[in-house]
Amino acid sequence: MHGINISRKQAIACAALIIAAVIIGAIGLYGLNARQSASGVTLLEEMRLQAILNTAGTGAVDAYVAAEKQAATKAVRAEGGGMKEVREASAKAAEEALARAQELGIGEVALSAIDTKPLASALNTLAEAQTAYFDEEARAQAAYIEAHADEVTVQQDADVADDGEEMSDLEMMEQTVDLSGFTATAEMQALQADVDAAYLALCEEIKLVFPALTDDILTSLKATITGIVAQSGDTFETRYDRAVEASGMQPGANGWIMRNGRTLALSAVGLCILALAVFFYGPLVAKLGVPRLIIGMFFVLLCLMALILDLSLTSQLSNALVRLGMNGVLVLSMLPGIQCGISLNLGMPIGIIGGLIGGLLCIELGMSGMSGFFFAIAVGLVISAVTGYLYGQLLNRLKGDEMSVTTYVGFSIVSLMCIAWLVLPFKSPVMKWPLGDGLRTTIGLQDAYKHVLNNFLSFEVLGITVPTGLLLFFALCCFLVWLFMRSRTGIAVSAAGANPRFAAATGINVNRMRIIGTMLSTMLAAVGIVVYGQSYGFMQLYQAPRQMGFLAASAILLGGASTSRARISHVVIGTFLFQGVLTLSMPVANALIPGSTISETLRILISNGIILYALTKSGGATRG
Amino acid sequence: MAAEYILEMKDITKKYGENTVLSEVSLKVRPGEIHALLGENGAGKSTLMNVLFGMPVIHATGGFGGEVLIDGQSTHIASPHDAMIKGIGMVHQEFMLLPGFTITENIKLNREITTPSLLSRVFGKNLETLDMTAMARDARKALDSVGMSIDEYTLVKGLPVGYMQFVEIAREIDKTGVRLLVFDEPTAVLTESEADQLIKVMKEIAARGIAIIFITHRLDEVIAAADGVTILRDGQFVADVRTKDTDVTRLAEMMIGRKGESAFVTAEPRAFADDAPVALDVRHLAVDMPGEQVRDVSLTVHEGEIFGIGGLAGQGKVGIPNGIMGVYDAEGEVTLFGEPVKLNDAHAALKSGMAMVSEDRRGVGLLLEESIEDNIVFNAMQVNGEYTKNILGASLRDNRGIREHANRMIKDLDIRCFGAVQHTGTLSGGNQQKVCIARALTMKPKLLFVSEPTRGIDIGAKKLVLETLVKLNREQGMTIVMVSSELMELRSICDRIAIVAEGEVVDVLPVDSPDADFGLAMSGIKPGREA
Repeated sequence: MHGINISRKQAIACAALIIAAVIIGAIGLYGLNARQSASGVTLLEEMRLQAILNTAGTGAVDAYVAAEKQAATKAVRAEGGGMKEVREASAKAAEEALARAQELGIGEVALSAIDTKPLASALNTLAEAQTAYFDEEARAQAAYIEAHADEVTVQQDADVADDGEEMSDLEMMEQTVDLSGFTATAEMQALQADVDAAYLALCEEIKLVFPALTDDILTSLKATITGIVAQSGDTFETRYDRAVEASGMQPGANGWIMRNGRTLALSAVGLCILALAVFFYGPLVAKLGVPRLIIGMFFVLLCLMALILDLSLTSQLSNALVRLGMNGVLVLSMLPGIQCGISLNLGMPIGIIGGLIGGLLCIELGMSGMSGFFFAIAVGLVISAVTGYLYGQLLNRLKGDEMSVTTYVGFSIVSLMCIAWLVLPFKSPVMKWPLGDGLRTTIGLQDAYKHVLNNFLSFEVLGITVPTGLLLFFALCCFLVWLFMRSRTGIAVSAAGANPRFAAATGINVNRMRIIGTMLSTMLAAVGIVVYGQSYGFMQLYQAPRQMGFLAASAILLGGASTSRARISHVVIGTFLFQGVLTLSMPVANALIPGSTISETLRILISNGIILYALTKSGGATRG
Repeated sequence: MAAEYILEMKDITKKYGENTVLSEVSLKVRPGEIHALLGENGAGKSTLMNVLFGMPVIHATGGFGGEVLIDGQSTHIASPHDAMIKGIGMVHQEFMLLPGFTITENIKLNREITTPSLLSRVFGKNLETLDMTAMARDARKALDSVGMSIDEYTLVKGLPVGYMQFVEIAREIDKTGVRLLVFDEPTAVLTESEADQLIKVMKEIAARGIAIIFITHRLDEVIAAADGVTILRDGQFVADVRTKDTDVTRLAEMMIGRKGESAFVTAEPRAFADDAPVALDVRHLAVDMPGEQVRDVSLTVHEGEIFGIGGLAGQGKVGIPNGIMGVYDAEGEVTLFGEPVKLNDAHAALKSGMAMVSEDRRGVGLLLEESIEDNIVFNAMQVNGEYTKNILGASLRDNRGIREHANRMIKDLDIRCFGAVQHTGTLSGGNQQKVCIARALTMKPKLLFVSEPTRGIDIGAKKLVLETLVKLNREQGMTIVMVSSELMELRSICDRIAIVAEGEVVDVLPVDSPDADFGLAMSGIKPGREA
């Protein structure tokens, strides 16, 4: 079979999955189709009508009761009763009126008993008017956000706790423009007038059904009724759910299929992908390895979930692309470390700090744009070259325990710099706390080099924004590292890492090669943090760099690297999968379990789980 | 105790897969006898002892054929623990002592004398209190019997090596019911006086009725200590003789033997005149290679010669090429074609026109996770800057050149692989060895060291490797220094063979010297001097 061996179990599982996919998919497609069909449209329409009549009916009963109460009160007053009597009579009348209203069926009306046509057409007019309004509102708000995008500012500082760690960069995408200054546009107002008119027309029809209703009550019911008809960002599912709830009708299996058609159809797609994965399990595992397969499937699952939950998949994918570029160089910095034999360079914060100082100097000197960006990189490279050299010397003295040494070095340097950030003599008010000494935890880069790469040549395709400059820069870094690794020195560095005794027997200075690898790793980390900062729009000082080594390590391991061997492809695949999963998991998790921090938990679980997995696979390579 | 032999191993045959390592070997040991077990490396001594101790490696590879009798009773020894219960003890070559513990604790380890305590009544026997006094008493007795006056409470850490050996022996003697002790090359690490002391102790132990199997390759010790000798050669039983009926020369002869037809590659040895041009001259070389110490070696290799270096494992022969090539720290004077070679500098050694095929193929010889082609050109690229091209000031690997060269080498040396990009870690041992040779040849060396070139590779590959060496020598005039534990191999293609023992060259012999001379030289006795 085309050289692919399929076991019996695999074949059965595959067949079962395909059959399930076909059945579910067929039902789902039927449901989606039913939405368009006459019976489907009627069903929704009827439910909606019923819902509105129910609401209006309640209003009618209220009106009837109120009228009775008033009459009773008036009667008692006329008899000269005191306050107490009035209250009693009023309560009694209300009770009786409610009972009578139920008896007479004032608030109830069967759809079959009335002519629904004019009511339905009035309702449709209202629905269309409302949809038009919401569309316009969304458009106008988007335009407003576009226009005021630069206003996302450092006010963040107030929200962020002193511990920089608290605010994860994942929330970057959640930052929204303050909409309090937004006012309705002329178009919106015109459309609002249409909505009002449509509502009044509907009211006339309702009054025909419930003569007891007064205009006052109808005005007060306006919010409820329009709310049932349409809402901002409406989908078929949400409209359907509202109609079912407010009408109290039981739409039956047909309705359920219609309601869940989309979910079913997407699940069928998911099952097909799973079936494919089962079918090609052998070659896939051989090519990608188990972890990548699992995470890849998880990524697909998240994409489908995002579609089912009607989250904007395209914008999530744009985010994933941005995050690939912004984290890519940091992950790339792991590669020379792994190749030269110091294993995972968890001491990456050393390089990060070089880059941060570069960024600070750039702000201090008032540089901005591309020149500021490259100035920050240049300064970062110089600083991290020096620190990387010293760090490499240290690692050469502590061979065999690199993993723990790099971790401790990373932690210590972060703590040491916590003091430094407080005492460094920077003057720029952008960076300093308004009161007292020291630098802020989060420093905005909007005046320096924020988004210089992201916006460079960026374009939109299929709704996905491609941050061309950012990706190009990442690709350039990858290419340079790739070139280096194929040079004579690069090959010597790799050999020194792979088999130090072999390298020594060939006259290679293993210690020197390790220092070169370590320096390169540290310098790439410095570049990486500057790139990261320009995408994020902020620089985070103090505790923030501490976790970055772990995140980068898990990304490259996820990409297929071991603790002793890594390739550029591992960097790219790993970063994309890791960041893609994180980007998508946050909105999906928030939609599933609102207000939870599950995505953050997930991120810690995935990143540390991957590191542990890789360590078990490396078979003690770190000791070798 | 009517049985004549305390231990009788009859017709023991052991195969590892297709490879027969023991073939109908017998060993008979009388009570109270010191019986030497003699043989070259790989003769099957260790395997025979593994069978005796029921080591897991034997059972895991399909057991063995033949019979083991203890006191005339056929016995099955399931595990080393079982062997201990049956009264068989082993004094290991590598010390199995805990450095941070006292001598007493080491001697009584896992056989501690205990008294019940409050905790042990509740939680069981494992928590009983140690009876240190009783343990020390036993330890004292055992130490006395090996003639050691050292305090029994001394920590093992920091003891001289010789003392550790005696502590090890004391531990075995202290075991109750021990009837047979195996000494695995006990004198290898001892000084001469310590060795004499050991032999004395062994005789005392034997006098108490405990039989001893004495594994060694020092022939004079065999004559001095043993009552009987069993000689193995290539997994075959050669002889069981009384020491009083034999002498050192005959033992050496039996140990080496002639294997006649089994030589599958033959190159006619050539004689070189003493004043023939010298390729390599080594004076007073000392190399600090763990396990293969070279103390003082002087050699002269003529141009165009295949020079063999033989000797038993651990005697230092492997240290010679490693020292000259700068892999391990070395001292002395080495001149190559009249030019002095800088020692302790692998780069300079390679640059001067020498190349080496290492004995540690997977450790030093190859980058197992890299491709065949990268391995082959690695040295030439790093040392000579070949197979690179200069682009914008950076020297990058020259893909096409590398591929062409690798494919040529793969064809010439018949490396069986899927292609030049296959990782060397997935190749068979023989093909890995060919990759190593290819890498050495890519350096176009004037002098080639090959260290244990046939270790761990199958017979077909062995033949090809040896043929390749002969071809290189005869057709290209390359001078070759071949180090090997297999004397057979050296005798089949070399012109002269130096035998190394205890870090020194004992003698340089012509290939057709009698077996006895090689045997004697290997145990450190220069034939001419003795006669």
